[in-house]
Amino acid sequence: MESELQLIDAEEKDVLQEIMNIAFGNAAAELAQVINIFVVLSVPYIRLLRARELPEYIKSEVGDCESVSIVEQDFWGEFKGNALLVFQAGAGKELAFMLNGGDTGVFEPGTTDRFESEILMEVGNILIGACVGKLAELLGDVIQYSPPKVLVENHANDALPQNLFDPGCSAIILRTMFRFNDKDIGGFLFLVTSHESIDWLKGALAKFMAQYDA
Amino acid sequence: MHELQQIFDTINLGLVILDRDLKVRHWNRWMARCSKIAPEAILGRPVFDFFPTLQVHQSFRRNCKSVLAFGSYAFFSQKLHRYLFPFPPTSSFEVKFEQMQQSCTMGPLRDDGRAITGIFLTVEDMTESAANEQKLIEMNSTDALTGVYNRRYLETRMKEEFGRHRRHSRRLTLVMFDIDHFKRVNDSHGHACGDFILQSVAGAVAERVRITDCLARYGGEEFSCLLQETDLAAGILLAERFRCQIEATDHDFKGTPVKVTISLGVSELRDDDTLEQFVKRADEAMYRAKTGGRNRVCG
Amino acid sequence: MRISKILIVDDSPISRRMLKSSIPKEQGYQFFEAGDGQQGLEMFKEVQPEVTFMDLTMPVMDGITSVQEIMKFDGSASIVVLTADVQARMIMNAYQAGAFLVLKKPPTKESIQEALNKVEEREP
Repeated sequence: MESELQLIDAEEKDVLQEIMNIAFGNAAAELAQVINIFVVLSVPYIRLLRARELPEYIKSEVGDCESVSIVEQDFWGEFKGNALLVFQAGAGKELAFMLNGGDTGVFEPGTTDRFESEILMEVGNILIGACVGKLAELLGDVIQYSPPKVLVENHANDALPQNLFDPGCSAIILRTMFRFNDKDIGGFLFLVTSHESIDWLKGALAKFMAQYDA
Repeated sequence: MHELQQIFDTINLGLVILDRDLKVRHWNRWMARCSKIAPEAILGRPVFDFFPTLQVHQSFRRNCKSVLAFGSYAFFSQKLHRYLFPFPPTSSFEVKFEQMQQSCTMGPLRDDGRAITGIFLTVEDMTESAANEQKLIEMNSTDALTGVYNRRYLETRMKEEFGRHRRHSRRLTLVMFDIDHFKRVNDSHGHACGDFILQSVAGAVAERVRITDCLARYGGEEFSCLLQETDLAAGILLAERFRCQIEATDHDFKGTPVKVTISLGVSELRDDDTLEQFVKRADEAMYRAKTGGRNRVCG
Repeated sequence: MRISKILIVDDSPISRRMLKSSIPKEQGYQFFEAGDGQQGLEMFKEVQPEVTFMDLTMPVMDGITSVQEIMKFDGSASIVVLTADVQARMIMNAYQAGAFLVLKKPPTKESIQEALNKVEEREP
C-alpha cells in the first residue's frame, strides 16, 4: 500500500472516530426496531486512501470469502460518497428467511435469483440508510440516496469492478462489520467519501466539537 | 393556484403524504381517480383504514419505520412487490394483471429544524411495461416453433432443481429423446413437414407431462423433459408412455400420412453427480436406445 | 449523597471531553479519567468516586466486566453506563452487571444532569 494520505489530521480523525462510534451504535439500536432482527455493528474503522487503492483494499478486508454479493448505493448531501455493502454469498436467502419468519418458497421458476437480489437491496438500503443517516444527523447534514443496486451477486471476491471509483480521487473509508441475529449473516459496510466532501467534513467536525467545548 | 399545487394535482403519478402516525395528510388527484377515494374522505385518517393490505405488508411497514427513523428512501420495485395499492388496471387492452402494477418510492419530509415530520410516497403505473416484460420473458423462454420451453430456460430450471436437490434431497429425473430418422422425414416430405412433425410430437408429449415438469426443445429434433419428484423407475415408465403415444400416432400432413418413432434415454440425479454428469448419462442412455434399434427407452 | 468526585472511564479522549463538557462546572466536581476498564477499576479503588461514567467498548477490560468488578469491590457504587447502542439486550446486560443507569450516547447536558440528580437521591 502507498503511504497513508493526510486528508484529515489526527485529532479530526479521533473526532470522526467517536462520531462514527455514536452513529453506528445508534443505527444498530434503531435498526433492531425497524427490521426486528438483532444487529451488531462492529467498532468502525477509518482509513484514508487513494481511489485506485480501493478495490485491492476492499478485497483484502473481505478476505477469503468464497463468493460475495455487493449492494451499492450513492448518497449525497454536503457529505457525498458511495456505500458498499458486502455480504457473503447466500445471504439473500438467509435474510429472506429471517425477515419473513419462514421459508421463502419460490414464486415462479427462474425468479429465485431476482428475489434474493431484491431482498439484499431492501436490507442493504435500510442498513446503509441507518448508518449514513445517523452519521449525517450528528454532522448536521441531510442526505439523499440513489436507489440501491446489486453490483455483483454470488461472485468470487475478486469480481469488484475496477472502474467503480473515479481514479483521481482520494477517499476516507469508513468500515464496519455487521452481523444479524448472532448468525453467520454478516458482512462489511464501506462508506467511501468523495474528496469533494473533505473540506466540508473538516468544518463539520470542528462544529461538532465546538458544541462540547463551549 | 400555486404552481407546485398545480403539479401535485395534474402530474401523472400518485403522490401521497403521510404523517408520523401514517395518517394521510395529502392525497393527490391521481390517487383519488385510481382509488375512487376522494381526498376529503381520506385526509386525517390512517392509511390502513382504507388499505388494510398495507397493514400486513411487512416490507411497507419496515420501510415506513426506516424512513421515519433514519430519513432514508425506500424503493418498491414492481418486480418484487407487484403493487402497494390495490387498484384496477387502467388500460383495458391485453389485461394480464388483475391489479395495476406499480413502482413506488418513499422518502422523508422534514420541517425547518430538520426533524422528520412525515413520509411522501410516489406511485407509478407500471402495468404496460410489466406486461411487455412478461411477453419478452415468454418469448425468451419458449421455442418459437413448438411452443414448449427452449434450451436456455431448461438449463436455468435445471440449475435451480439441482440446487433444490442439494438442499432438500428432492428426486430429479431427466428424459432425453429425439425423433428417429428425422432427416428422412425432411428429405422425403420437405422441411415444412419436418416442422409439422416437430410440433405434433412436442404437442403429444406435452399432453402427458405434469405442470411441475419442464418439457423443452433441446436442439434440432431433440427434446428434454425434466421431471421433479420422480425416480428412475417412474421416469422410465413415463418415457415408455411417451414412446407408445408417438408410435401409435398417425400424423396427417396435408393429406399425407406420416409416422415417426422416438428413442429415449432416462437418468436420475445421484447425490455425487454434477449437472454435466446427470445430463451426460441421459444422453448416453438415449444413444444406447438408438444403437439398440430405436423406438425404445433406455435407463 | 453529595457528589464531589466523578470518575470517567472511556478509551476515547474525545468521548471523555464530550462527557466532561456536559457536566455542570459550578458544582466544583473533581474529575478523574481512565482509558480502559482495568485502569477504571484501579482508579475506582483509589479514588472512591460517588459516581462513575462507564463506556462499554474498551480494550484490556471491557465496560461490562469493569462494572462487575467494581460492584464486587463496592456493591453500593453508582455506575452510569454510556452507550450508543441502546438495544434492549445491551441495556439488560448493563443492568445485570450492576449498572445504576444506562444513558444513550451522545451525552446531553440534560441527560447528564438527570443522571447526577438520580445518583444524589440515592442513600449513601
